[in-house]
Amino acid sequence: MSSLPEINVIELLELGVVRIHNRKPGGSASIELKRPPPPASNSGSRLDVIEGRAPDKPMAATPERADKMTAPILEIRNLHARIEEREILKGVNLIIPPGKVHAIMGRNGSGKSTLSYVLAGKEDYEITEGEVLLNGQNLLEMDPSERAAAGLFQAFQYPIEIPGVATMTFLKAAMNAQRKARGEVEMSTPDFMRAVKIAGTDLQIDTGMLKRPLNVGFSGGEKKRAEVLQMALLQPKMCILDETDSGLDIDALQVVSKSINALRSVGRSMLMITHYQRLLNHIVPDVVHVFSDGKIVESGDKDLALQLEAKGYADFDGAAA
Amino acid sequence: MTVAGLPTRRVESYHYTDLKTLLRVVPPLAKAASQASAPALRVAGAFQLMIANGAIQSSTAAPAGVIVGHAKGSVLSKRDDVLVHLNGAFAKDCLTLTLEGNVDPVIQIDHCTEGDAAHVVDSLKIFVADNASAVILETFSGSDTAHIGNHASYLALGKNAIVTHIMVNLSAKATTHFATNEYALVAGAKLRTLTIHAGAALSRSQVFARFAGEGAHADFTGLNLVEDGQHNDITIDIRHGAAHTTSQEMYKQIARGRSKAVFQGKIVVERDAQKVDAKMMMQGLMLSDQAEIFSKPELEIYADDVVCGHGSTCGKLDEDSIFYLMSRGISKVEAEIMLVRGFIAEVLDPIEGEALNEALNSVVDGWLQGV
Repeated sequence: MSSLPEINVIELLELGVVRIHNRKPGGSASIELKRPPPPASNSGSRLDVIEGRAPDKPMAATPERADKMTAPILEIRNLHARIEEREILKGVNLIIPPGKVHAIMGRNGSGKSTLSYVLAGKEDYEITEGEVLLNGQNLLEMDPSERAAAGLFQAFQYPIEIPGVATMTFLKAAMNAQRKARGEVEMSTPDFMRAVKIAGTDLQIDTGMLKRPLNVGFSGGEKKRAEVLQMALLQPKMCILDETDSGLDIDALQVVSKSINALRSVGRSMLMITHYQRLLNHIVPDVVHVFSDGKIVESGDKDLALQLEAKGYADFDGAAA
Repeated sequence: MTVAGLPTRRVESYHYTDLKTLLRVVPPLAKAASQASAPALRVAGAFQLMIANGAIQSSTAAPAGVIVGHAKGSVLSKRDDVLVHLNGAFAKDCLTLTLEGNVDPVIQIDHCTEGDAAHVVDSLKIFVADNASAVILETFSGSDTAHIGNHASYLALGKNAIVTHIMVNLSAKATTHFATNEYALVAGAKLRTLTIHAGAALSRSQVFARFAGEGAHADFTGLNLVEDGQHNDITIDIRHGAAHTTSQEMYKQIARGRSKAVFQGKIVVERDAQKVDAKMMMQGLMLSDQAEIFSKPELEIYADDVVCGHGSTCGKLDEDSIFYLMSRGISKVEAEIMLVRGFIAEVLDPIEGEALNEALNSVVDGWLQGV
């Protein structure tokens, strides 16, 4: 903080660059930067440039500037997580503003999927450090169902099969549980059926499939389409798409991508996690991050993905060290 | 009772349900009930036969094809089993039902035990004519004292008869419930049985069935729901005595609290019963660390050209499934209930008739919400 003596705190507040914390009961208010300055050893600081967030430059409160500074949907700060004794996330920093689509690319075992599970609230992981805010709310204090009600949605790489629970029954229970948690009235059956029909048509999902038990006996493509159907119905603010392209043939990829693109909107952000650049031809991201050894080591625009596709991940391996 | 003695764990078929230890006191035989009772489970449009303390108390008008009567003597075939012996010794009079044609309404036989602790022994004999069909529901309930009920039924299915027989034990917490169901199937008969345990401190339901004619098929199913302080046992003995007969056994046990659930399943294929196809499955779900589930499948095959199989699984609710449902906004409690319902669905779903299916689902829901 001491490096910013000349900047008026109020002005920064308006710009959304700093926020006042007072979340701990009885604790005193503290002021800090929205994104902590990167440690000197961290070369993965290009995110600042991409999002126009270099805090060490003086800023003018122009309308354009203020627009860019709207409160982020998702904010991950110095996130560390471990499973048993193994540290997998080693200081993830990521800010996703409203309406933006970010992609995380990285080789197998780099921790991408762990990041998505930690965000969704899977219990197997222990968070040792850091903070995650969804619309300014502390995500890590919520259980998975509260996260969903707060607007988080994860399309899983391997959706779980639930025998004995009809897909339709599950969809209705999920929609109404979220509405109830937000204090809204439950959806009537005709309204629900209409919503399912509209969302299902785009994804080429017939009602026969929805009468079957959830994900049981679904093909790889059907599972992914069912995930996107849930996303369309639940209308989340922040979507995490984990390897959505895996198991999809070219035609199915087009259908799924089209539906995901249709869900892009000003109030909805997305984080795509993928190995391959292929998906990013269909769903063009605003920002691409390279994930290596538990953190983001490089950020850029969509061309970064092409560069990766051509050269592989080897160039970035050293960057995490 | 003291002559043969109660079976201990050394008696193979009572190994997990040691009656000598579990059954300390036997109350006096029941007297006639003084008050009218309501059925334990309501199924809209059902023909109701109300039995209180072992005697018929009232009934609604019998539908077409149903003849109600009574007969002397015991209903069960002789067999070396203490519950069969006791029922035969004490049940002097049995209720008989003769079913002809397609009986449309559900036939509900409601057994209620009222008043002070009593030993109730009753028996029922049902003849289903050739080509007839019926759905029979027996429900058990009553006052919450140390009653012992020992119920028996013998059900004979004629050629090509189609019968669903459901036993729902909703007896009060302090009671003991014993039931023995014997089935005889001739050619082309189709039977579905469903045994639901959702009551009593100690329960044992026995199913003895014999296939005596080609082309007969049966689905034997059950739901053993046990909670803290309960010991519930379902024991089945299925005999394929004719060629080209098929059966499927599907039993689910769910245990929570400090409780014990027992399933013993035996399939016997006699020497001349070629081309038999029989598959038995028991699946257990443990909802607490103190719950115990015992499962003993047995196959005894004397024919040489049959397809028989058995399986037994036991586990807890899948954490990944709970996480998946929660990630869609469903609370932990709701997610667990949803998974338990899903686990049970394949037993309840085949029961046709909306009113009946709803009534059975309400039994399960009642049990689930009683956490």
